[in-house]
Amino acid sequence: MDKSTLLLAAIILAVFGASVAAGHPHWGTFTGIAIILLAAGLGAGTLPLRSQDFVEERTSPTQRISNGLITLSSAAIVAIYAAGYHRTSPAAHRFDSQIPQQRTSATIAIATPPPAANPGSAAAPPVSSSAAPAIKKNTKRPSTPSRKAAPSSASDSTGSSVSSTSAPSPGSTTNPPAVAAPAVPAKSAYKDGVYLGWGSCRHGDIEASVTIQDGKIALVAISQCLTRYSCGWIAPKIPGAGLPDLPSQVVERQGPKVDYVSGATESSYAFADAVVAALSKATE
Amino acid sequence: MHSLMRSSQHYPKPQSNEVVRTVALMGTFVTVHVVGDMAGHKGETERTERELAVERALDWFYKIEECCTRFEASSEVMQLATRVGVRVPVSTILFEAVQFALAVAEATEGAFDPTVGYAMESLGFNREYRTGQTIRTALDSSGSVSYRDVRLDAERQTITLLRPLILDLGAVAKGLAVDLAVRELQSFENFAINAGGDLYLAGCNPNGEPWSIGIRHPRRDNELIDSIRVSNRAVCTSGDYEKRAAADEQGHHILDPRTGSSANAVASVTVIAPTAMLADALATAAFVLGPSDGIRLFHRLGVDGLIISPTLELYATRGFSEYH
Repeated sequence: MDKSTLLLAAIILAVFGASVAAGHPHWGTFTGIAIILLAAGLGAGTLPLRSQDFVEERTSPTQRISNGLITLSSAAIVAIYAAGYHRTSPAAHRFDSQIPQQRTSATIAIATPPPAANPGSAAAPPVSSSAAPAIKKNTKRPSTPSRKAAPSSASDSTGSSVSSTSAPSPGSTTNPPAVAAPAVPAKSAYKDGVYLGWGSCRHGDIEASVTIQDGKIALVAISQCLTRYSCGWIAPKIPGAGLPDLPSQVVERQGPKVDYVSGATESSYAFADAVVAALSKATE
Repeated sequence: MHSLMRSSQHYPKPQSNEVVRTVALMGTFVTVHVVGDMAGHKGETERTERELAVERALDWFYKIEECCTRFEASSEVMQLATRVGVRVPVSTILFEAVQFALAVAEATEGAFDPTVGYAMESLGFNREYRTGQTIRTALDSSGSVSYRDVRLDAERQTITLLRPLILDLGAVAKGLAVDLAVRELQSFENFAINAGGDLYLAGCNPNGEPWSIGIRHPRRDNELIDSIRVSNRAVCTSGDYEKRAAADEQGHHILDPRTGSSANAVASVTVIAPTAMLADALATAAFVLGPSDGIRLFHRLGVDGLIISPTLELYATRGFSEYH
């Protein structure tokens, strides 16, 4: 029985039920309502199928279960597609940088600040090249995250310098070096140093490390990611591919006002809270 | 690569209105081939648009793999394995993938079962293809597990593992990634995605004909046993010649969930279905069921397919010849 037949049956039953209810006040009301309910049930059964119009109907022997599986697979794709965020910038650089060994560029140009609002557009290539040496570090997740600063920056392994201004090593192991100091000096409200702060959400806790240099936010990283989900949703392992990169946003905007990442809203909040907590220590 | 896209063997240099990109992902090579123009765009803008769309399509593979890989202890599916008996809120990707895998398990009465992850790992399918690192999960695996040991809560989007087990989403995840890539490329009429045997063919090939897909001979290298022409369909081929287990020379990558060893009634299975996720899952199920039951399953589920027995007998669904 296809959905139009079901719908037709539902309409007939509803009309019939209503007439029974109207015509026989004694027992008919009850029966009529029951028939209307049955009709509503049938009608409802046809409705979910409507969103599956893109599923091609087959004329070959199909049974309920097959439509079920085909429908389910299509629905799963729609659900995931809808939940995922859409990016508008190329991810090519990220794929290219999957092979860090092949990268020979040793110096990294991150002296110029990328445009603030959109982390993906024009800034992608330089940030991506800075990501290459960081990969090695990032793919290995530390099994025992140490809150103490391991004096390693991603540059150690490849011998490239991260930037001329990144003297203090923030002890970030989970995040590649963020974009360095912006050209426009922000208000020097913060004391220099490395500050840690925690933020929580129902998925777990995030610790941010904020490095203040010359009174400005010079480097931000997620130093511990204890959420159920990978922090890659808000701080991509390899930045510069247009994915939301909240740590870089903090540096760009010189404050904790970051975009919230669709699909990782809670983690975004937790990260922002962690930055606020860290910054509050920098102003004490 | 299981199914060979025929044209891929002699790709001419991509025309100005074509984009071909190949990256190594999910233990195989993923190729996206877009043919022709996108409606409403012309020239350079069009080309940029198209390249961006291809990147977005490939990005789904990356995203799905990050979530569903069994070879990375930090992946969401492996994190889930560490929490038994608890409702674990999960991402949409993982939830939908598992929900679909369980539905197929139900429909095939366990011939397909995503809970074979630990058995696979124990048999030596535990090597991360990119780094070569192997994974060993400490799991209290007393007794056998099945798909009935996994509970879903659609409203809260949680997964509960009733017993210690590892979900193997290999058969679902790659297809899922292909299907998401297909959606990303929806504005194009003609394209092909090939993820190591999981294919989706939209519209026509560069010659304006339906895509021609060769089905590899399961016993002779570089030889095709059949070829089909498809348009707007997913095609998945699974063969016993791929991915031999490290621990067992005779074993391959499809286990019979009911016995725990490699299924060996079939040399190769090809499924044609509306989605790659369904095609891949059913190919895996048919591998376990054997030729006769496999074809019966395809008929029952309304997909077409070809099953080749180890003695090279061909079993096809009634509708399969229409694709020649």
